[in-house]
Amino acid sequence: MADVNALISDSESLPMLPTATSQLIGMLGDDDVSINDVAEIVRVDEALSFAVLRYANSAAFGVPSRKFDLRESIVRLGRSALTKIVLEQQAATVFSGGCDAFELSRERLWRGAIGGALAAESLAAEHNPELKDLAFVTGLVRDVGKLVLDRAYGVDYVTSVQSKLYADRTFVDAEREAFGTDHAQVGAALCRHWQLPERIARAVEYHHCPPEDGELHDELTDFVHAGDIVALWSGISLGSDGLQYELADHVKKSLKLSRRAAERAIASMWDSLRSIEEALGIETEDKERNIA
Amino acid sequence: MSITAASTSAEPAGKPITVGVADLSVAKGPGVTIVTHALGSCIGVTIYDPTTNVGGMLHFMLPDSKINADKADGNPAMFADTGIPLLFKKAYELGAKKENLIVCAAGGAEVLVDNGHFKIGSRNRTVLRKIFWKNNVLLSADDTGGNHSRTLHLSLDDGRVAVRNRGTENILWPM
Repeated sequence: MADVNALISDSESLPMLPTATSQLIGMLGDDDVSINDVAEIVRVDEALSFAVLRYANSAAFGVPSRKFDLRESIVRLGRSALTKIVLEQQAATVFSGGCDAFELSRERLWRGAIGGALAAESLAAEHNPELKDLAFVTGLVRDVGKLVLDRAYGVDYVTSVQSKLYADRTFVDAEREAFGTDHAQVGAALCRHWQLPERIARAVEYHHCPPEDGELHDELTDFVHAGDIVALWSGISLGSDGLQYELADHVKKSLKLSRRAAERAIASMWDSLRSIEEALGIETEDKERNIA
Repeated sequence: MSITAASTSAEPAGKPITVGVADLSVAKGPGVTIVTHALGSCIGVTIYDPTTNVGGMLHFMLPDSKINADKADGNPAMFADTGIPLLFKKAYELGAKKENLIVCAAGGAEVLVDNGHFKIGSRNRTVLRKIFWKNNVLLSADDTGGNHSRTLHLSLDDGRVAVRNRGTENILWPM
């Protein structure tokens, strides 16, 4: 059985959360934070500055009539978009090592993270706009537990889990039988180690089995849970764990997810993802490896 | 969307053409392999004309472009009803003949406990078959359904179609 605390205490091998990401997540929901505060974070980082310039001058943000410099770009984008761009760009750092255990390259990890984040954000925007930014961030980090397990066990992790996997059984159930924990719980522990807000950690912990009621129920978890399924449907986040996950009935009902709404969500998420890739200049052709 | 019309001379030997999500590619062999990864609910369709060595692959996400006609205009490979005709058209442009085509499909998986509510993969499979039926196209072989991810390979040396999943390979064609 895996000891989650032991996995997380080995900080040498843990994925790092970039400082800028940590700072920006800490600022979420704080009305006293201005665009200048976010801009300060961007200016000191060359890669971030480049990403912001590229985005502000891209067609994704409306065709610009002229080139915008960094200061103009920051103003043009606004705080919310600026925060999102920084997080999208920095996610590439978090996932830079890939995840062999789940047969996920760094590109696929990034795509899966952003895709799930976009879908969660879009659902939140429709049902509770106040949670939009938080849903995006939580969607982004929802599967970081896979990175920890990859570093601890390598490909043996999924091999062991698959030996407990049979039809109609979820991957997380098989993980729990094989290791006494699952990637969502490990991800939540890593979020706590990174000192992210407890609400984010809890939503990560329950993103595959969102509590229907009681004090653990949180709409944020529901958005991230459904966003994860939308990303799976689209195929962008598929690893060796396949589609062995389920969409909770109560989430399906509370978010009024019909088949048509689901298809629209997939198409819309895909479009947004492609715009981001274009704007950030990210090439994510699936050319790097075979997933099977 | 990228639509590739590669030829043997244009492609370095041994380097497969990768078809991304909502993407398609056609090429003339021999010496060319086309591959697509991570087929979940999406479906990969391969076509191959053994008399001309022309073949192609489509990786579509959704069955019906009516959910958003603008998206279908911008990216026809996203949907079955716009992507499949385009795949065939591009292959014809390279010399393939409809009557010679060997057609295979893989993917169309589902998440668990769907209870028939969404059936994203199943709808993809149904619409695919409907389009083929309406157009007198015979599906030579398929590997669809289940809950797992698949990788689909097409060799334009001999039309061999292979599906890989969790370390195992299943040859779809020749059977």
